[in-house]
Amino acid sequence: MKKKRDKALVFSNKMYLFLIPALSFFLILWVYPVLQLFYYSVTNFNGIDYNYDFVGLKNYIKIFENGSVINSIGNTLIYTLVVVVLSNVLGLAAAMALNTKIHFKGLFRTTAYFPALFSAIVVGFIWTYVYMPSSGMIASLISLFGGDGSTFNPLGDFNVALFAIALVEVWKSFGTTMIIYLAGLQTVDESLLEAGRIDGCTEWQLMRKVKLPLISSTITINVILNVIAGLKAFDYSFIMTNGGPGKSTKTLMFQIYEIAFTDQKMGRASAFSVVSFLVIIAITVAMLFIMNKREVEL
Amino acid sequence: MKNKKFLSVLCAAAMAMTMLAGCGSTAGSGEAAEGAATAQEEKANAELEESTDTYDHEAIENAGDITITMMVSGTAAENDFETEVLPELINKKWPNLTLEVTKLPDDNYYTSLKTKLASGECPDIILTQPMYAGQNSCYALADAGYLAPLNDMDFVAKMPDLSAVTYDGKLVTATNSVSILGTYYNKAIFEEAGIKDVPKTWDEFLEDCEKIKAAGHTPIVMGDKDQYVLQFGLYQIAANEIYPKDAEYDQKLRTGETAFTDEGTWDTVLSMYNELYENGYIDATQSLGYGASQAITDFIDGKAAMTFDGSFNAAAILGQGEGGDFERGYFPIPAKSGDTHTATCLSAGYSIYSGSEYVDECKELIDYWFNGESDVWDAYVATGRFIVTYGNGADSIPNSDLFAPFIELLNQDKGHHWCNQAWPAGTENTMEELFSEMIGGQGTTVEDITNGMQDKFEDLLDE
Repeated sequence: MKKKRDKALVFSNKMYLFLIPALSFFLILWVYPVLQLFYYSVTNFNGIDYNYDFVGLKNYIKIFENGSVINSIGNTLIYTLVVVVLSNVLGLAAAMALNTKIHFKGLFRTTAYFPALFSAIVVGFIWTYVYMPSSGMIASLISLFGGDGSTFNPLGDFNVALFAIALVEVWKSFGTTMIIYLAGLQTVDESLLEAGRIDGCTEWQLMRKVKLPLISSTITINVILNVIAGLKAFDYSFIMTNGGPGKSTKTLMFQIYEIAFTDQKMGRASAFSVVSFLVIIAITVAMLFIMNKREVEL
Repeated sequence: MKNKKFLSVLCAAAMAMTMLAGCGSTAGSGEAAEGAATAQEEKANAELEESTDTYDHEAIENAGDITITMMVSGTAAENDFETEVLPELINKKWPNLTLEVTKLPDDNYYTSLKTKLASGECPDIILTQPMYAGQNSCYALADAGYLAPLNDMDFVAKMPDLSAVTYDGKLVTATNSVSILGTYYNKAIFEEAGIKDVPKTWDEFLEDCEKIKAAGHTPIVMGDKDQYVLQFGLYQIAANEIYPKDAEYDQKLRTGETAFTDEGTWDTVLSMYNELYENGYIDATQSLGYGASQAITDFIDGKAAMTFDGSFNAAAILGQGEGGDFERGYFPIPAKSGDTHTATCLSAGYSIYSGSEYVDECKELIDYWFNGESDVWDAYVATGRFIVTYGNGADSIPNSDLFAPFIELLNQDKGHHWCNQAWPAGTENTMEELFSEMIGGQGTTVEDITNGMQDKFEDLLDE
């Protein structure tokens, strides 16, 4: 039996030896630190002094006690909702438009995808100046058209700041969403659309009854990717608002960063990370379950 | 599938075991932690022990060819002092010594420092901050045993008060300069508004703001989107209203003898600062969307009469903008009583890693640098980034006229540490968040802020 295995033509068992280097890196640099997170979450490690104590579930109790989880989960869910809805609606609309026979299609596709090529730092800084009161780009345009640009201050407004940074995420990510939709739309068989047209379908009916059901798996991918990106939101809170004004743009990841590196409570930050990990897993699994069920129905 | 189930059960069991193990030791460790916190307070408040020993003052000369490593935070500029000038001058003095300096942006510095300390590969000399300030706080690092005592160094005799960098009787950070928080002002706008001199009392300050507003100018510009700038004004007021009445206020916070909620302390400070927003001297609708650098730009463009900022930003604030080369001044926010104090304190300095092979060599190097007369000292002072208090150039540092009123107050023993230096890191963030909510019209009151600060303070002290 053993002899037979060794003689396998496609993938000899000895080939598994070659997995060891990559697997070692993966285990040491990824799996081990993740497991350490669980360990640190029950200690009072401050990130500096390695003479720490075990504190049991105290870190978990504390994060729920002081309400920081509730505020940051609320902000993160709103942020995610805005990103998922707008990114998918805009991405799908752009993909539909750029899947037709129009002039300069390549140029438009490149332009729409362009923001995705910049790093979050660059995008964050650019949009900080776009949103700046008085002399920012939008405020200047408002003033140019006779309005009062000095009152335009989205990043300083408690009720608007979260939506303002979520829009930046949408601006940067909808190009990627569009590309995936475009790939999905190109798999739709033209003969089905032609048959629909012969049967008298309008363009709306073709989209609703033929195209969308056929790209349902693409929708699932895009929604899940955007949900994950939204739940992991950190960059723009950090770069553009530093969690402010007040606590209005503090997301789960930002809160973890702050607890770990400002408050120097690495143990509590680890507990927070474990809770976030569970929340993200739960939401993603639930979304997958719902979306897959919907795919079957379509 | 069975394997997956088995793994899940194993993971759950492992987690439960870890947590139970933690629970088992909670009671003991809680008491231990409380004891440790008290012990830490005693160490933090201990006075500098006088040193009878001395280090080897010819350690470098006798060491052969050696390399000393140093890591600091900041952004390296052209002909940077730490990364270029200092190593060159040190090598000129001791050809057998190579000084390798790494300068990293703040966040990278903190991460790198922690990693290097954890791995035992820390550079010989590192930049640390006084008391509990920041992630490179000298008290936290000293408590973990990472810093070598510096009591036997020569420069100590030149510094009258090093208590903010002394832990458990041991000097742990070598520093020779001070940092100031104050109010930069545009003399041209002051004159235009009919203000002849800087205000001497809080009421005069408010009157001057009103005059500037009436003259059609913005009295004060702040970049409150970067919430840390709130500290620039608040700490100046605290230096006037809290510490002159009780110099030990912050130490007593840790023992529970005082609290942020005490009447006549932070409630006064926060109310006074809030007056500036309520009266429209600082426009919160604008400042909450403005970054710190944008506020500086507005000031140098001549769009505002004043801005609260530190001596560390002097170069940017004294720069030329659209407002031309107007004359600028710098004064401390005056006290209600007129007996003005200043938020002027020891700057960050240099510590020696306790695990370094070259502790004496590092001491000799720093003593040469800090002796007040060496080439290194002169180059250090000439950068204009450090407000030194003794030696060559101490009375002629760049912008010395600007800083003179503060140094005068400091010499009269009216200088106080910046509040956050004495708090566990994170307390000031709560203060800033809640204060932002108050000026942003979220219904937060002064009482909410002091309660929030007290809760956060206690939470952070809780090990």
